[in-house]
Amino acid sequence: MSSARANALIRWSLLKSAVARTRFLLLALLLLATGSATAARAGADPALDLARYRGRVVLVDFWASWCSPCRSSIPWLNAMQAKYAGQGLVIIGVNVDKERTDAERFLAETPIHFEVVYDPDGRLPAQYDVPVMPSSFVFDRSGALVVRHAGFLNAKRAEYEATLRDLLLAKENPG
Amino acid sequence: MRRLFTFLSLLALTGCAQVAPWERDVLARREMQLDGAPLDAAFDDHIYFSKEASSGGRGFGGGGCGCN
Amino acid sequence: MANNDKRLGVALAAATCALLGGARSAPAAAADDEDRWEIESALLYYGESDDRVQDASLSVFAKRDFDDGKLLDFSITADTLTGASPSGATALDTPQTFTSPSGDDTYRTAAGEIPLDDTFLDTRYAVSANWTQPFAGLYTVSAGGSFSDEYDYTHAGANVRLTRDFNQRNTTLSAALAYSWDESDPVGGVPVGLSQMLDEDDLSNRGDAQTKDIVDVVIGIAQVVNRTTVVRVNYSYSDSSGYLNDPYKILSVVDPVTGDTIARTPPPGEDGPSGIYRFDNRPDSRTKHGLYAEARTWLGGKVLSLSYRFMTDDWEIDSHTLEAHLRWPIGATSYVEPHLRYYTQTAAEFYRVSLVDGEPLPQYASADYRLAEFDGVTAGLKFGHETSGGNEWSVRVEYYKQKGKVSDSLLIGNQLDRETIADLNAIIAQFSYRFRF
Repeated sequence: MSSARANALIRWSLLKSAVARTRFLLLALLLLATGSATAARAGADPALDLARYRGRVVLVDFWASWCSPCRSSIPWLNAMQAKYAGQGLVIIGVNVDKERTDAERFLAETPIHFEVVYDPDGRLPAQYDVPVMPSSFVFDRSGALVVRHAGFLNAKRAEYEATLRDLLLAKENPG
Repeated sequence: MRRLFTFLSLLALTGCAQVAPWERDVLARREMQLDGAPLDAAFDDHIYFSKEASSGGRGFGGGGCGCN
Repeated sequence: MANNDKRLGVALAAATCALLGGARSAPAAAADDEDRWEIESALLYYGESDDRVQDASLSVFAKRDFDDGKLLDFSITADTLTGASPSGATALDTPQTFTSPSGDDTYRTAAGEIPLDDTFLDTRYAVSANWTQPFAGLYTVSAGGSFSDEYDYTHAGANVRLTRDFNQRNTTLSAALAYSWDESDPVGGVPVGLSQMLDEDDLSNRGDAQTKDIVDVVIGIAQVVNRTTVVRVNYSYSDSSGYLNDPYKILSVVDPVTGDTIARTPPPGEDGPSGIYRFDNRPDSRTKHGLYAEARTWLGGKVLSLSYRFMTDDWEIDSHTLEAHLRWPIGATSYVEPHLRYYTQTAAEFYRVSLVDGEPLPQYASADYRLAEFDGVTAGLKFGHETSGGNEWSVRVEYYKQKGKVSDSLLIGNQLDRETIADLNAIIAQFSYRFRF
C-alpha cells in the first residue's frame, strides 16, 4: 500500500468514527436544516397556496376566538360552504389566535365546517393586509382577488351571498 | 396647561404606534376593557359623590377588540 | 325624612355620566355572544362607624348585544338609607337641642359631641337605560335616560354620546352630553338660606320644592398604546344651576370670643333649638372642569389600572384623585384585585366652621364637612371566581377613611380645643353575580 493511500484510509476511518460518535448531533442538525427550509417556505405560505384551487371560487376568512362578530360570521360561512360546495366554492378560515387552545374552545361552541389554517404568528394577515377583524377575501375562478369584506355585518349577508353566486356562475376564462 | 398640551400631543402621536387588527387579542379581554366593571364603578361613583365634593369625569369606550 | 348627604338623585346623574361609558361601545365587546342577555346583580352594604350612615343597595345591570354591534343596557337599583350625618353645627360643652327637619320634633346632642342630624330612613329607586348603535362603519351613537325617586328627591336625566374610531380602531374619540333635572322637596319644606332654625311646628321660613338643572359635557380620547396597553383621557365640564343647597345642613352662630354657640331658650310651652342656628346657603350656580386620565396594561396575566383625576370649580374646590387596581389571577378561574384610592380636596370658598354673632351675614356659608378641606383614602380587596358555565361571582370589601383638615384660622376660642370635623370611617362590602342566558 502506498503512503498516500494509507493516509487516505486513515483519514476516511477517522471521518467515519467522528460521524459515528456525533451521529445524533448530525441528525439533529440535518433535521433543523430541513425544518428551517420548511419554515422559510412557510413564509411563502405553502399553507395557503391558492394555486391549488384554480378553477374554483375561494373565500379566505380571517377569524379569532376573541372576535365577537366572528360568532355570527361562522354559521353563515358554514351555510355558504354547504350550499355552494357543489358549484365550486372553497372557504378557508385562517385562525390568528396565538394560543391554539383558545381557538379550540371557540370551535367547541361554534364548530367550523370548512378548511381551517392556523397562523399564530400572524404572517398571513400581514401578507393580506387585513384591515379589521374579521375580514374575508374572495377570489374568482382564475385566482384574481375580486372583493375584500372588512368586518361582518348580518345586515349584509344577502349582499355577500350575491357576490359569491355571481362569481360561481362565471366560468373561468379559457386561455 | 402647557404640560397638558404636550401630553395630549404625545398621545395623538402614539397613533403612529399602531396595533394590527389581528393583534387585539389581549385588548379584547374583558378585564382589559376600560368600562369592564360597570356595577362596581356605579356603586363607587354613588358613594364618593355622596361623600365628596367632586364627581364624574370617567367613562368612555375605546380599546377592546376593535372588530368590525 | 332623608339626609341629602347622599344626594342620591344627583348621584345618579353622576352615575349616568359614568355609565356614558359604562354602556360599552359596541366594538369593545370582548367575544360576548350576540342575542344573549348578560345580567350582573349586586348587593352592596355601606356602613359608617359611630351610628352614622348605613346603606344597603340592590342593583341589577342587564346588557344585551343585538345584531351587528347594537347594544341595549339598563339598570335598576333599590337603596335603603338610614343613619345620621354631621349637620354642620359645632360641638359644645353642654348638650344641644335642635328642631327636626320636619318641624314636628326636636332631637338632642350630648355634651362634647359633634351634632349629627336626626336619624332617618329612606328608600330610593333608580332606573337607567341606554341604547348604542354603530353607524357609517366607524361611528357609534348612544342615547340614554335615567330616573330616580325617593321621599324628598326626584331626578330625571337624558344623555347622548357619539364616538368615532381612527387609525384602524386604535384611537377612539368621543363626545357626550348629559342633562339632568332634579327636584328637592325636603320634609317640612325648603328652608330659606341663612334663616334661623325655628321652634317646633314653626314652618314660617319654609318654602316650596326647588329644582336644579345640570348640564355635563365629556370629551374623551382612548388610545391603544401597544398590544397590552390602552389609555384614556377625558375632559369634563359640568354646569349646575338652581337650588344647590343641602336643606338639612346648618351652621352654629357663635360668640366672637369663646367660640361657643349663642344660647337661646324657646318660648314657654314650646320646644325648640337650644342655640342660634342658621340654615346653609350656597350659590345658585356651580361650574366644574375636570381632567381624567387612565391607563390599563396587561402584565403577563395581571392587569394594572392606574387613573388620575383633577377637578376644579368656581366654588374654589380643587380635588385630586389617584386610583390603582391590580387584578391578579389565581389559577385559571379566579382572581384577586387589590385597590387603592387617594383623594384630596380643598375647601369651598364659602366653607366655614361657624357664623360669628355680631358680624354681618355672608351671602353664602356652609359648614358641611363635604365642602371642607380633607383627605380620603380607600383600601380594598376584591375576589372573583369564574364558574364552569362562564358566569362569575365576586366579593369586594373596602375601607374608606376621610380625615378633615380645618386650619386653625377658621376656629375661634374654645373651638380650638374641640374636634370640628368627625373623621369618617366606612366599610363597603359588595357581593356580585354575573350570568348569561
